[in-house]
Amino acid sequence: MKLGIGARITAVFGLGALVLSVLLGGISYFTVRHFLLAGRESAAQQQAFSNASVVRNSLESGDTQYVFLLGQVDAGTGAHSVLYHRSKAYVSSLSVNASSIPAQLRKEVLAGTPATQTYRNAAGQEEIAVGLPVPSVHAAYFEVFDLSDLDHTMSVLGLTLFVAGAVTTLLGLALGRFASRRLLRPLSDVTSAAGAIAGGELDTRLDVEAADPDLVGLTLSFNAMVDQLQERIEREARFNSDVSHELRSPLTTLSAAVGVLEIDRDRLPERSQRALQLLSDDLRRFQRMVSDLLEMSRADAGSVDIFLEEVNVSELVQRSVETGIGHMDGRRHGTPEVVVDPQVEDWRVGVDKRRFERVLVNLMENADHYGGGVTTIAVGPGPAVEPAPGRLVEVSVDDAGPGIDPAERAKVFERFYRGSASGRRGTGTGTGLGLALVAEHMHVMHGDVRVESSPDGGARFVLSLPVLSNGDGDGDGDGDGARDELVSEKEVDA
Amino acid sequence: MSGRILVVEDDERIRSSMRLALEGEGYEVKDAASGEEGLDLFAEAPTDVALIDLMLPGMDGFECCRALRRSSAVPIIIVTARADTHDVVAGLEAGADDYVTKPFVAKELAARIRALLRRARPAEEEPGALTFGDLQLLPEQGVLRRLNGEEVHCTRTEFRLLCELAASPNKVLSREQLLDRVWGYDYFGDGRLVDVHIRRLRTKVEADPAVPQHILTVRGMGYKLVP
Repeated sequence: MKLGIGARITAVFGLGALVLSVLLGGISYFTVRHFLLAGRESAAQQQAFSNASVVRNSLESGDTQYVFLLGQVDAGTGAHSVLYHRSKAYVSSLSVNASSIPAQLRKEVLAGTPATQTYRNAAGQEEIAVGLPVPSVHAAYFEVFDLSDLDHTMSVLGLTLFVAGAVTTLLGLALGRFASRRLLRPLSDVTSAAGAIAGGELDTRLDVEAADPDLVGLTLSFNAMVDQLQERIEREARFNSDVSHELRSPLTTLSAAVGVLEIDRDRLPERSQRALQLLSDDLRRFQRMVSDLLEMSRADAGSVDIFLEEVNVSELVQRSVETGIGHMDGRRHGTPEVVVDPQVEDWRVGVDKRRFERVLVNLMENADHYGGGVTTIAVGPGPAVEPAPGRLVEVSVDDAGPGIDPAERAKVFERFYRGSASGRRGTGTGTGLGLALVAEHMHVMHGDVRVESSPDGGARFVLSLPVLSNGDGDGDGDGDGARDELVSEKEVDA
Repeated sequence: MSGRILVVEDDERIRSSMRLALEGEGYEVKDAASGEEGLDLFAEAPTDVALIDLMLPGMDGFECCRALRRSSAVPIIIVTARADTHDVVAGLEAGADDYVTKPFVAKELAARIRALLRRARPAEEEPGALTFGDLQLLPEQGVLRRLNGEEVHCTRTEFRLLCELAASPNKVLSREQLLDRVWGYDYFGDGRLVDVHIRRLRTKVEADPAVPQHILTVRGMGYKLVP
């Protein structure tokens, strides 16, 4: 898993604090220990030296009351003496014996060299043993000092340093987290701005005044980028709209002129009649293409005025299919059957009837061109949704084709998208905008469209619309007087 | 069917082709390139239907409609670039009876004109005289007047709409029915035509158009006339 920049910054801060505190703690610990130990060592050596001279004096004077002798010198607390005299060892207390002295030290001292050694005894306690040869009386004097108090001091110090280190590390982590948040805050502004822009709010800009001084460059170039993007999109939309508008005038002339010719069609020679047929068919197609493009560019420009009318959904679908068939161009695969679920018979929806008819025409044409014709059109209840009365009604259009690959399903609603079926353009119908317009029209009417596969394996396009009323309270609820039936809305971007 | 049509359109080529198409359908056509010229032509010779483009140089189509409406009840069709704009509603409110969008199909335009001319003649089945409020509707004479004898002027479309509602008082007529009977549209006719005309009718018929007593909206269903 890849760590985010925030997590990484936090981790670096935490790790830095940890390394630093380990380093400082370690140095302090060992320095203190070294210093304390050195002090104890020299003190031990001094004491052992003076004791050894007492022992030597006694032995030189022939006194061999060893226990008494050792009892005399064994003054310091936690210090015990061991005396080797004439190959025998004498101890000052029961807590030590000859084997308490590390073998190495004993060997060195018995060989005549004074030595000091720090070690842990069998019980695990730290001790210092100082050994002094007393050659004049053929003896060796050892003194063992208990260092457990030093041990205790050091463990308290160690614990303190450990706690301090842990706290420092945690503080480092917290600081890292804070710093990364601070560092990333301007980026989250950029993220939300970019999201808004992607969502169509092209007027979104970053606030240059409020930007971090180090990020002014980023802010400025971000805004410049959006400016250019917006300008380009608007220029494109304007161009599309202008082109389509400009095409209208000649189209109107052409259409009227062809209308004149059609009145006199029967008087024309047969060749001219056929030419006229081609002319008027393609003129119609051209008109549709221009109006499709215009529709699209208006949707892009965000200037769609929509007038939604409350109608019965099953009547709407039936009428749209009947009338729509007359408006379809290209080959046809018969009249589709419309199946209405009895449950939705009285349901009413808010639509622009012409737009809805276009939606169905486009779906039926699409089915004819790519799916072997429509098999069934069904109207049925959809899932419950949030706003009251909280239902969707679904109109599904099934075709007899091979279905649409799941990977292609989202793409079929893109403009000029021609999927794997692009080879089958038939007699050259379709503008490439059909399904894109279906999606556009449905969104404008607060509905949606999706594609799935029908039980027979063909494609199934499902239109969904919010239900305005499900026919329960259909009394003549007049009384709201002049209230206009048409829900009229204007969808404009600021 | 013959009739005299005034075409007000600034694009010369569209004007010529419209003239050709309408003459081909048997109409007598006069054309004007501006609103002012159109009003002059209208004043000079009798006209049965006026066809007015909304986008005109100088006096625009809306103003031209209003000017015509002030002096006449002649049926007006406006020609608009887009169906889904407030232009349509604004044009209808300026007094137009119907609209077509560019590029229109000549046949469709001819059908709209035929429907308007038909409306100018009495319907086959007229309702009897009906009195509601202080108004008296006399369909056979084509007259709507107040009980004090003062005549209420309305366009033929408004009058036909009122007659259709009066033919079955208290019964709800859907937009589709009214569009079919008054304008000759099928199910896909534009419901705004009905709404705007009802609104205009109310300003003439109702004491307070905001609180109508006679021409009532039935939500989700349509309209009805309550005597």
